[in-house]
Formats: sequence, structure tokens, C-alpha cells
Amino acid sequence: MKRGLIRWDRAELPSSALESRLARVNSLLNARNLPALLVYSDVWRSSHARFLTNFMPYWNRSLILIPAGAAPVLLCGLSPRVYPWIRSVTVFDEIRPAAKLMTAMTQLCTERGWKSIGVLDLAQLPNEVYGPLILSGIEPTNIPASEVICFDDAEFSMRRRAARMAREILAVELPNGAGRSDYALTGALERSLRMAGAEDAVILLSTGNTAPRPASGATLGDHYSVSLALEYCGHWVRGTRAHTTPDNQNLLQERFRDALAVSAGAQVETLSGPYPFESTHSADSPVIALTIETTIGGARLFFGDSCLGTARGLELL
Amino acid sequence: MINEHRRKQLIELMTERGWDSILLYGHGWRKEHFRSLVNVNYSGPHAAARLSKSGDIRVTVTTPWDRELVEEHVPDVVFASDFAGALGSCSAVSGLELMQQRFVNAIRAAGTDPASATTDVEELRRVKTAEELECLKRAVALADRGYQHFASTARPGIKEYELVAEVEGFLKTNGAEDNFMLIASGGVEVVGMKPPTDRVLQRGDSVTTELTPQVNGYYAQICRTLTLGPPSEGQLQAFAIFSEAQKAAEDLIAPGINVSEAAKAQNDVFRKYGYGEYTGSKYTRVRGHGLGLFPDETPHILEDVDYVLKEGMVVIAHPNTYLPLSGYMVFGDTLQVTGTGNVRLNQTEKKLFTMVTD
Repeated sequence: MKRGLIRWDRAELPSSALESRLARVNSLLNARNLPALLVYSDVWRSSHARFLTNFMPYWNRSLILIPAGAAPVLLCGLSPRVYPWIRSVTVFDEIRPAAKLMTAMTQLCTERGWKSIGVLDLAQLPNEVYGPLILSGIEPTNIPASEVICFDDAEFSMRRRAARMAREILAVELPNGAGRSDYALTGALERSLRMAGAEDAVILLSTGNTAPRPASGATLGDHYSVSLALEYCGHWVRGTRAHTTPDNQNLLQERFRDALAVSAGAQVETLSGPYPFESTHSADSPVIALTIETTIGGARLFFGDSCLGTARGLELL
Repeated sequence: MINEHRRKQLIELMTERGWDSILLYGHGWRKEHFRSLVNVNYSGPHAAARLSKSGDIRVTVTTPWDRELVEEHVPDVVFASDFAGALGSCSAVSGLELMQQRFVNAIRAAGTDPASATTDVEELRRVKTAEELECLKRAVALADRGYQHFASTARPGIKEYELVAEVEGFLKTNGAEDNFMLIASGGVEVVGMKPPTDRVLQRGDSVTTELTPQVNGYYAQICRTLTLGPPSEGQLQAFAIFSEAQKAAEDLIAPGINVSEAAKAQNDVFRKYGYGEYTGSKYTRVRGHGLGLFPDETPHILEDVDYVLKEGMVVIAHPNTYLPLSGYMVFGDTLQVTGTGNVRLNQTEKKLFTMVTD
């Protein structure tokens, strides 16, 4: 869960980046003759809302309404007591309490005289939001995320920083796992990640006999792998490394480079969607995680990293 | 790891409701519906377990690694990057409200308009089995140890997020799957807890936390406040009120007691001392809640919630709120409802913790 440092460092992510993203939404709304765009967000599904407003709910669900030509409004299930903090880390000035999300949304639409709105990925709304929206009388128009979420230099820069953090922490902590329990290595990684400013992490380990999975108290031997998905200021990446012999390391890296070159022969996850990571058959998303598996000497070993799709093919983030 | 008691309960529910099958759906944040039957900690964005009236279970997951993990417990597991296309038809869904609408549409396209089983299944989940209680007790023991670590690590000069990092590392090292944790530090200006910031803890601060480690799927909670340095008169006065309010709930909670009474018992203590206005939604959220596969299970302990407690439920009573005496303060323990009353599962001392700073 998101319980690490959630902040907005304007030197790292300039306000102008978010202004450009919101300007793009404004152009899109004007072109479609729509008065506002609705974006859903919750603890696990916050990537799109974060891209547009830097809002990452640590708990609960929320709706964001981005009016054409005006500042975004947050409808929030969290207590008004945390609104000053939310304002300090997001673009929002107007935050409305919304224990009943859809009641608050229809009230806002009524106040502003909106009879129709755009909805980011309409069919992906949770049923508890979609149903009342349809019944509300407000006409929703689907706006595909691909038209709104167009990654820019600021996005890639933040992802690169997150990918670097994953690599550096894995390099330091991974060798310390041999002979210890997978809980101990998970704990050490968790501590290092959160000290470095990560707000969430999903840590999976393989003892060499299975695919990476949550720690279970197993003892790590001479060959093991860790797959680490981490969120830094809302930007998710995945890094996977094995602890094994230098020869095996070379072989893993060689096979990973081969997979990277041909964009095939590996497990692919998109890191560009609404969720932190999703399995996909295609490597053509802007940001993906590529993970290879190789069995050497009877041990299943894993290696992977976060990559950027470019016109020249995949490049490491 | 199939919950056999739950499988039996769900089959009875299907018979009672006239359903042929039930789907238990989970996503990355809300895994509790799925894990109430198939208690496996998947890591992909979605998972669903379809239970038929004959008792057969088919699981659909969204990563190949999850398939391998679940296959150790359920023989019929499908990995589907097209999750909607793999769901098929079903009579009812537990977690329907959380599902993306396209998934609901896919179930309808397969021939059935599913009913919501969420309320029914939540009620089944409230009364814990012996195995579930065992998991909760392990989580409580870890919460106690986690708080000791928190209290021994908090010091002037450490940043909030560094303190959280130390506690998270400790909990994971000792077997926690996950943890829900909020924190606050400062004085009378602090009105609530939130995720950690880079604020540096200072002498004289109240440092509040709600620790909620998860063990084998089940969350238990502890809420405590500590002062960095000797407590002020205001902090002592406030804690005395919180302590009395929490005790009032703990003394009352038993099978047959309505949660509204447990909330009123706590709020009445604040009212008695002239702080009734701080029991409302402007300053506080709930006076406690259920615990289990979700850290904030219903029923919420509030004066306007009507629910009668049952033996075997596990709840936390916490009169957490803002008081002008001290700023935001928290105090609460995990309680198991027994046949005649309740038993406090936490062993952590019931006191205002103080960190000596000189």
C-alpha cells in the first residue's frame, strides 16, 4: 500500500508539465464540444489521475473532473482534514468531500449545467460508478486514455529515476539474501526503498524452484531472483535480478539483451496503463517491463528491466 | 489454500438464493472477496474465483506468475491477459461493485445478468473461523512488536517517512504480507493522520500511528500515541479521555451489543468532558471498525450504524479524534468478540508512550 513518501518536488516535476497535460485535455474537450472530463482513481489505479494532477490517493476512491478552460476539481472520499496536505502535493485548489462519490459528481454537474461529460475509458469505470452515472441522466462520452495520456519528457525522466532507484537498491541488497529467509530480504528491500522515497513496492522472490512470488519464509540458497515493482512519486517501474554465479549473470544479461533487441522471447508487462503493471502480448506500449526466465543447472533464474518503446525499438529506461 | 468452511457457506448461499454459480472478484487493492475463498496473495491487477454449486472452483488470473502460485492450491487455473473474455457467465458476483463495467458486460454477454453477492458474502466473512482467528492473532502479535519497534525508533531528528521505512522493513522482515499505516507528528495544529511527509520529528511532538500488518491475508490493528519528551499537561489530559473512552467500548462490546452503542459509549466520554463536538465527522471518521481480509471492514462503529455484534467477530475500538488539548490523538486495540464479552488481543501496554529525549 502507498505508505511511503508522497510529495511533489517542483524541481523534479515542473508545474509546466502538468499544465501542458491539462491543456491537452482542454483542447480535446473543445474539439469534442464536451464541458468536462471525468477521471476515476483509487489506491491501486491511480496512474492516469497522477499523470494529469499528481494526485495519488493513499486510501479510498476519488473522481476528478477537469472542466474545459477551468481548474480541475477533486471529489474525494478522504476527510477534509487532509485536504491541506492534498493541495500541497497536487494541482487542486477545489476539493469537495464525497463520501458518496456519484452524488457529489451529479451535484457538481448540475451546478455547472453539464448535461454530458467525457469519461476517460468509460467501460473501465467500476460498476458502482458506471451504473449511477448512466442512471444520472448525464450523457457520458468515452474518451480513450490513449488520446489523453501521451507521455512527455517529464514522465520519462521520472520513470528513469525510478528505474535507476530499482537497479541501485537491488544491486546493494540482493547479495545479502543468501542463507537468509525471503522475509529478511524483502524487509531489507522494503526499508531501503522507502528510505529512498518510494511510496509503494511489490516484491516477489524466486528460490530457483518457482516463478517470483510473495515471500513465504523460504530460505534463499545460492541461486535466487527478486522481481521488484516500485512506485516513485506515482511512477511505476519493474526491475528483476538474480543472485547467481558470475557466469550465469553474464548468460542472463546476454539473453536479456537478445530479448530487448528483438522485443520478443520475454514476459511483457505494460507500465503505461491505469494499473501499476499489466500482462500484455505486445511490446508496443510506451513503457514496459521485459522479464526473461532461464533455467541454469536446474535453477529457474529471472532477469528484467523497465524499457521505453522508441522508433528504434526498445531502450532501457 | 481453500477456505473449506467458506466453500460450504457459499454453496448454502447459492442454494438459498437460487444461484448456479458465484464469482469472487478481486483487484490489486481489494483482494478480500477473492481471498475469502482462495486465500492466495496474487500480485496481478485482477483475479476471480468461480464456484459452482457442485463445489468446483475455477480461478482466472492476469499474470503467468499468479497462475503458477494459485495452481498449487486449485487445479483449474487460467491465465488470461484478456480477463473479460475469460470470465464466462455466473449467477452472482461478490465484489461486483468493484469490477470494471466491461467485465460485467462480458458476463452479461455470456448469458447471465449477475446479482451482487457482496453484502451476503461480507456478512459470512464477519464471523471468523478458528483458522482465521489464528491468522488474526499472529497479525496482532506482529502489530504489537511493530509498535515496540516504532516507539523505540521514533526520536527527534528522524523524518516521518524514515520512521515509516524502519517500521515497514521490520514488519516485512517478520512476515507481514502488507501493512496499512498512517502517521502524524506535531502539536495542537495536527488534525489528522496521513501518509508520512519529510517533516522532522521534534522534541515535544505527539507522534501518532495506526499500524495494520497483514499476516496470511488477515489484518490486525493497533493505535497508539507517543510523546517525544515528557508529555504536556494537555497531552496527559487528552490521553486520560481517550483511555476512558476506549475502555468504555471494551467494557461494553459483546454479542448482542449494537455497534451504535459501542460508538455512543466512546462519544459520551468526550461529551462528559465537554468535547462532544470532536466526535463528529469534522474531526474524526469512525470509532472503530471490523478487521479481517480488509483493514477497514464493515460494520463501522458509528452512532448511526445499526449492526448487532456476533461471537467470533474481530473489531477495533478506537476513539481517534482531534482535541484542542493535544492535537490529533489515537488509541485503540483489536478485540475478539467472545461468547460473553470480548478479549483484547493486543498485549501492548495501554498508556501514553513517552520517549525520553535527554
